[in-house]
Amino acid sequence: MHSKEDSNVAVKVDRLYKSFGKLKVLQGISTEIKQGEVVAIIGPSGSGKSTFLRCMNLLEVPTSGKIYIDGVDITAPQTNIMRIRQNVGMVFQHFHLFPHMTVLKNVMYAPIKVKHLSQEEARREGLELLSKVGLAEKAEVYPSKLSGGQKQRVAIARSLAMKPEIMLFDEPTSALDPEMVKEVLEVMQDLTQTGITMAIVTHEMGFAREVADRILFLDQGRLAEEAPPEEFFAHPKSDRAIQFLEKML
Amino acid sequence: MLKKQLIFTITFLVILLITIFSGRHSSSEVVAQQPAENKSKLVLVTSADYPPYEFRETATGNEIIGFDIDIAKYITKELGYQLEIKDTDFSGLIPALQSRRADFVMAGMTPTEERKKNVDFSDIYYEAKNTIVAKKGSNLIKPEDLTGKRVGVQLGTIQEKEAKKFKGITLVALNKTGELILEIKSNRIDAAILEDTIAKGFVASNPDLEFNTIPNTEAAGSAIAFPKGSPLVADFNRVLQQIKTSGELEKLVNKWFGNNGKTETSSTSTLSFAKIAPSIPYILEGILVTLRFTAISAFFGFIWGTILSLFKISTIKPLLWFATAYTSIFRGTPLLLQIALVYYATPQLTGYDISALAAGVITFTLNSGAYISETIRAGIGAVDKGQWEASLSLGVPYQPMMLDIILPQALKNILPALVNESIALLKDSALVSTIGVADLLRRAQIVGAEKYIYFEPLLFAGAIYYLMVMSLTWGGYALERRLQRSS
Repeated sequence: MHSKEDSNVAVKVDRLYKSFGKLKVLQGISTEIKQGEVVAIIGPSGSGKSTFLRCMNLLEVPTSGKIYIDGVDITAPQTNIMRIRQNVGMVFQHFHLFPHMTVLKNVMYAPIKVKHLSQEEARREGLELLSKVGLAEKAEVYPSKLSGGQKQRVAIARSLAMKPEIMLFDEPTSALDPEMVKEVLEVMQDLTQTGITMAIVTHEMGFAREVADRILFLDQGRLAEEAPPEEFFAHPKSDRAIQFLEKML
Repeated sequence: MLKKQLIFTITFLVILLITIFSGRHSSSEVVAQQPAENKSKLVLVTSADYPPYEFRETATGNEIIGFDIDIAKYITKELGYQLEIKDTDFSGLIPALQSRRADFVMAGMTPTEERKKNVDFSDIYYEAKNTIVAKKGSNLIKPEDLTGKRVGVQLGTIQEKEAKKFKGITLVALNKTGELILEIKSNRIDAAILEDTIAKGFVASNPDLEFNTIPNTEAAGSAIAFPKGSPLVADFNRVLQQIKTSGELEKLVNKWFGNNGKTETSSTSTLSFAKIAPSIPYILEGILVTLRFTAISAFFGFIWGTILSLFKISTIKPLLWFATAYTSIFRGTPLLLQIALVYYATPQLTGYDISALAAGVITFTLNSGAYISETIRAGIGAVDKGQWEASLSLGVPYQPMMLDIILPQALKNILPALVNESIALLKDSALVSTIGVADLLRRAQIVGAEKYIYFEPLLFAGAIYYLMVMSLTWGGYALERRLQRSS
């Protein structure tokens, strides 16, 4: 629809500022994420990683600056944000599954309500997604019966059910017991092969290094450094990144 | 998103109003019309707890009968009208005329100067005397004996006015004559001023009481009351004159007041449920009225409460202000007052004659909506913020998000509170008896008035209320357990 010169840019962020009251969380972030690119957003806690991610589907409204998704300015008042969000999936640290619906209903709900898929279609696609994340046998179970890792895999399937072009992951493994981290990372790794655009806020440095095309290093609300992972992890330029990596590795 | 919120709530409101107003026509309550010269039906409003003037024969049916009713039937037949009879509290009779809900009122009513300011009266058709009713051996015979005593009267009656002339007494005005008898028996008042016909009946049923006619008092004559300026007065007076001269009136006096043969004496010490046994089916029918009333009010109150709670969490300031002010008013004034206002003020302000049942349902809906909205608001607040964010990030619009995701979880949290609210509603529904809805309590009172006993029907109704509340409580527990299982 929108013919832009950079038609392969999925997300463009232009001088993004966000404050909560007096607290300045984001202080002028500009970057681009290309279609099919996987970026890992890392940085010390309080650096604004999650806020940055949540701005990309307007769960947080930027104080100033612009964000374009597929060339559409999502901060413009006339933009239908609900439409944009259908195209931008999000996975949360604490899963946020709907507790009063079975696993399959969780996955089927949005396609039926938002995309008006028929029950049968939604069911078929839902089961397909659940088997992709290895949980087909849990379809009729309520979320409270699942382990953390299973919950997060369902949450990923629920987001994918809307067939988004962009997936946002907000510390998807931080709330998990260590033995469950791997199963979630494996699902995400599979996902990188599908050509979907991914932005991942994470503390899993090994994972970031392995799957990301690019590292965005945030510090005190600024984009302190961005580089391909091999370059970033081997030769961090800024002092803050060096300090951070020393603590993490 | 704001617009959708608004559309969502307005749609809900419209549905609510349509349902209430379309529902009331199918209700069994009769609706009076504006008085007009060219109509074939007249509405008589009376207070059917005053035998032998007017009362319900509850053992055989629900019909209102009595001395006044016979006269009303005779006159309307003579004048070529059909007669429709409606029932309300005695204190609601004058308002019924003023709100044009009634074409005329017959309730053993005496034409006093104050009443004449608000309504028109026919000629007097029957004169009764006032009596002092007291415990046997109390020696309260003359008005002078009452000095320093507590004396009961029925609120708004000629006897109340009469008693105000007695010196040095403490006046206690109650709603029903049956209550006065109970108060004497429990020694809360020393005596009551009642009309002789009524007093005869009570004393016959309560051998521990006696009555003495008050000499030299103003005649407590009964007349028919009409709305101010009613063209019916002259016609009614003509027929009254006719039945006085023809001897028809005397026949009716003998039928209803002669040697009070229909009351049998009973023992005083024990409760006599046997006496109300024939009327039990009549009281039991009140369960349906009460349950239906409670269910409808709870349903609409819940929907209205949900809408108000959405207002309260709305980002649109005027909606928030409205809901807050609304709740504050409806929680800050007595429910009984709200019922009376809705029932009596609606016809006077809007000209729309709202039925007692509809007035009750609307008041309870508006009132319980205020309470429920607070509960639901708290319930919504307790739903994890992440549920909103997950819905929003999936592109789910406001309405399905609220209906499918947020409210079901909120309701599960507040289910015990909602069961509580329903129980309160069930019991408070007894307040509609004050505007004449024949619910469980009113039926018990009517039976009490008919049989000249008060305790037994009330105990019986109380037991039924308790059973209904217990069923509701158990139902609530069962529902809670079911919901727990699903997650």
